[in-house]
Amino acid sequence: MTESVDAQDSSYAAARLRLLNQEAQSGPPRRAALATLTDQWLASLATEAAEATGTGGYALLAVGGYGRGELSPRSDLDLVLLHEPDGAKSIAALADRIWYPVWDLGLALDHSVRTPAEARKTAADDLKVQLGLLDARHIAGDPALTSALRSAVLADWRNQAPKRLPALHEMCQERAERQGELSYLLEPDLKEARGGLRDATALRAVAASWLADAPREGLEEARTRLLDARDALHLVTGRATDRLALQEQDAVAAALGLLDADTLLRQVYEAARRISYASDVTWREVERVLRSRESRPRRRGLLGRAAPRAFGGGPATPTEQERVPLADGVVELEGEAVLALSARPERDPVLPLRAAAAAAEAGLPLSIHAVRKLAAAARPLPVPWPAEAREQLVTLLGAGESTVPVWEALEAEGLITRLIPDWERVRCRPQRNAVHRFTVDRHLVEAAVQAAGLTRRVGRPDLLLTAALLHDIGKGWPGDHSEAGEVIARDVAARIGFGRADVETLAVLVRHHLLLIDTATRRDLDDPETVRMVAETVRDTSTLELLAALTEADALATGPAAWSTWRASLLEDLVTRVAGALDTGALPDSGDRAPTAEEERLAIEAARTGGPVLTLHAETEAEAEGEAQDEALGVELLLAVPDKPGLVAQAAGVLALHRLTVRAADLRSFDPIGEGPVALLSWRVSAEYGALPEAARLRTDLARAFDGTLDIESRLAERESAYPRRRGITPPPPRVTIAPGTSQTATVLEVRAHDAPGLLHRIGLALAAAAVTVRSARISTLGANAVDAFYVVGKDGNPLPESRAREVAKQVEAALR
Amino acid sequence: MKIITAVVKPHRLDEIKEALQAFGVHGLTVTEASGYGRQRGHTEVYRGAEYTVDLVPKIRIEVLTEDADADELIEVIVKAARTGKIGDGKVWSLPVDTAVRVRTGERGPDAL
Repeated sequence: MTESVDAQDSSYAAARLRLLNQEAQSGPPRRAALATLTDQWLASLATEAAEATGTGGYALLAVGGYGRGELSPRSDLDLVLLHEPDGAKSIAALADRIWYPVWDLGLALDHSVRTPAEARKTAADDLKVQLGLLDARHIAGDPALTSALRSAVLADWRNQAPKRLPALHEMCQERAERQGELSYLLEPDLKEARGGLRDATALRAVAASWLADAPREGLEEARTRLLDARDALHLVTGRATDRLALQEQDAVAAALGLLDADTLLRQVYEAARRISYASDVTWREVERVLRSRESRPRRRGLLGRAAPRAFGGGPATPTEQERVPLADGVVELEGEAVLALSARPERDPVLPLRAAAAAAEAGLPLSIHAVRKLAAAARPLPVPWPAEAREQLVTLLGAGESTVPVWEALEAEGLITRLIPDWERVRCRPQRNAVHRFTVDRHLVEAAVQAAGLTRRVGRPDLLLTAALLHDIGKGWPGDHSEAGEVIARDVAARIGFGRADVETLAVLVRHHLLLIDTATRRDLDDPETVRMVAETVRDTSTLELLAALTEADALATGPAAWSTWRASLLEDLVTRVAGALDTGALPDSGDRAPTAEEERLAIEAARTGGPVLTLHAETEAEAEGEAQDEALGVELLLAVPDKPGLVAQAAGVLALHRLTVRAADLRSFDPIGEGPVALLSWRVSAEYGALPEAARLRTDLARAFDGTLDIESRLAERESAYPRRRGITPPPPRVTIAPGTSQTATVLEVRAHDAPGLLHRIGLALAAAAVTVRSARISTLGANAVDAFYVVGKDGNPLPESRAREVAKQVEAALR
Repeated sequence: MKIITAVVKPHRLDEIKEALQAFGVHGLTVTEASGYGRQRGHTEVYRGAEYTVDLVPKIRIEVLTEDADADELIEVIVKAARTGKIGDGKVWSLPVDTAVRVRTGERGPDAL
C-alpha cells in the first residue's frame, strides 16, 4: 500500500517536472495542466487515505489561485479539508495521509481542516480566508459538502458585502501603501503591488458580491500577462518569489521569449495600469453604490415616500441638487468630477484640460465616464495652444499629489499622448539606474508633484512645473537625454503656447537640469572657475532659482538615495555662490511706461469727473483662429479712477463679486491734468463660469465701492457661505518677499500665493492696513499660482527702510494665511 | 589586513577613485558624511553678521587592504585628495581582524 502511494508520488513529481520543463507549453494552458495534474494526484491520495482510515463525510477543496485552476510553478498548494462535525475522529489521520506526501515532495502547502460551519465562521472573521473560499473548487470526497459550502460562502459574501467590501478596499489600500505601484516601480512585486495579482483577485471578489463590476476591457489579458511573468520568474529563480528584481529581469524576459528586460517591464506596466485603473473605477463605484444605499432609507423617512423620485420630470432630483460647480463645464457629483450637463466637449477643445485641472485642484478623481466622453468627443487643440489651455495644464501640474490619479485617468484613455505626442516615448519606459524607483513617465509626473511644493521659491511657477514635466522627455532617444530633451522641450513648449523667451528658458532648464547637482557634488566650489561656469550657463537669477527648484524636485522624485541633507547643503552652497556672481537684474517698473492714447483719455475723464471710468474689450483669440466660439475667453478691462488708499482692494473686491478671475493686471498712477494722481488699472480677467460681466453693473458697483456705499467685505463673506468651496488640495503657504535692489523709487514686495477668489482683494486690504501706498503693481496668475509684484512707498513717498519693509512683508504674509 | 578610512572633500572622489584603480584597488565603500576638523567649519558673513557653518559636507571612503600595501595606499589617497586648502580632510588606518567574502566564504587576504 505505502509502496503504491510512494510510486504515485514520484510519478506525480516526475510528471510535474516534465510539464515545467516542457518549453512548448506555457501560460494559461500550463497553469491549468499543472492544476489538473495536481488535482489527480491529490484526489488519489485522498481517496486511498479515506479508504485506509475508513473516513466518510469529507471533501478536499482547492482554494485561492489553485482553486481558480491557476498553479504557478512554485505556488503554494492552498487546500481545505472539509468534514462533517461527527467525523472528527478519523479526520486527523486522513489529513496526515494527504499533507505528508505534499511536504515530502518539498511543495509549499497552505492547509486547514474545518467543518463547514467553522469554515464559514473563519471566513467571516478573516477576509483573506473569505477571498480564498470564493474560489473554492472540489478535488475529492463528497461533492455535496463542497457545493453546500460554496453556496453558503457566496451567499454570506453577498449579504455582508456592504460591510466587507470597504474592509477589503482598506486592505488593498494598505497593501498599495506598503508595496507601491506595479505600474511604475523598477523592481515591482507582481502579486502585492498596486495593480498586481492581488488587486485582480479583489476585483473578482467585488464582482462576486454583485454590487459593482469592473470595466472588463483588457483586464483578463492583463492578469494573464502578470501570471505568465510570475511563472517565468518562479522557473528562473527556482523560488516562490513574486518580486521582479533587476538581476532576474533579463532571464525572465528570455524565458518569456521577449526581446529584452525593457520589453518585459513595459508589458508588466501596461498590464498593471489596466488593473489599477479598473480597481480605481470599481472601488469608486462600490463607494457610490454603498453611499446611495445608506442615504436611501433616510431620505425615505424624511420625505415620507417609499422610493426616491423617479427619473425625469418634476422638480430637481436629489442627485441634481448635489451637483457642485467646479469650473466652466465641470461639476462635482458624488465625490467625482464629472462633466456638467451643459458641457459640450465637441465644441470646447480646452475642456479635457479644464476638467482635469478642476478635478486635481478639488482633490477629486475624474469620473471614468467623463474621461471616456472627452476622449471620444473632444477635438484636438489648435497649435499653439490657446492661453487658457496652457494655464489649465499648469494648474493641473501644480495641484500636488492629487495630480497623479487625474493624470493616470487621462493617460489610460490616451488623452495625454494626444495632447503631448512626445509623451509616447517615455510612457511605461523603465530606467536602468539604481537610484531611480519609477518609470520615466511617472518620474516626470512625480517631479511636477514635488515642484508644486516649491512654487513659492520661484518667480515663474508655470515654467518650473512645465520644466519638471519635460526635464527627462529626451529619455528613450539616442545620446545624452538632456541634449535630446532640449530639442523636444522647445517643440513642446512652443506647441503648448509659451512665448519665445519662455521657450528659451525652458530649453535651458531641460538642457541643464543636472548641471547644479553634478557641479555641487563633483566640483570644487571654492574654485571661482566653477562658479563662473555655472553663472555663464544660467545667465540670470530667475533662471538660477528655477533650476535650483527643478533640481530639488527632480531629486525628490527620483528616489530616497537621490536627495539628502548632505546633497541639499552642497547645492545650497553652490546656488548662493552663483547668485552672488550674477546680476540681480532689475524688474522693469511698470510705472515708467508712458500711457497709451486710450489710457490717457480715460485718465483725463476720471480726473475731470472724479469717478471711475472703464472700458471692456472681449479677447478674441479664438476668432482669430477662425473658430466658432460662443463665449469669450477673457476680457480686457481698463479702469481709471482718482488715486486713493485702498483702491486695489476695492477694485479687486468688486471683480471677485462679479465672479471674475484676475489673470493679469497692471497698475500705474500718474497725474494727467495736474489735478491729482489718477490710478490706471488694466486687467485681464476671465469669468469663473463663462458668463461675461455687464459693463454697466460693473461700473455702478465700482463707483459704489469707491465711495464706500458697497460693503464688499460682507457681500464676499455672504457669497462664500452660500457657495462653500471645496477644501480640495492644500497648497504651499503664501510667501511675501522683498525683491532686492530692483527699484530706486519704491520698495518691491513680491507676493506668491495660491490663487483664490478675492486673493487680490485681501492683498490690497493687507497693504492698506500696513499703511503703505501702492505706486504700481504687476499681477500675474500662472496656472493656479499668483505672482504679484507691488511697488510700494511709505507716507513720505519714498521707498521703505529695510526693517520696515520686512515688517510689512511679514504683515501681508500673515494676513494671507 | 588594514582598513583605510579617508574623510575628504566631495569633489575629489573621482580623482581618488582613478588613483586607487591605477594602484590596483578594485573595491571601496563611499558614504556621504558631514563634519568638521581643526578648521571648525567655515565662517561666513551674511548681512553683516558673522556666522559659522559647523558641519561641512564630506565623503568618507573606506578601503580594505593588506598590511604591506597600507602605507603606499594612504599616500595615493592623500595625493589625490589634496587641494592645499583648508578642509582637505584626513586619512587613517586601523588593523582588521578578519574579512569574509559573503558569496564564497573566503577569509582573510583572499577575501580582499
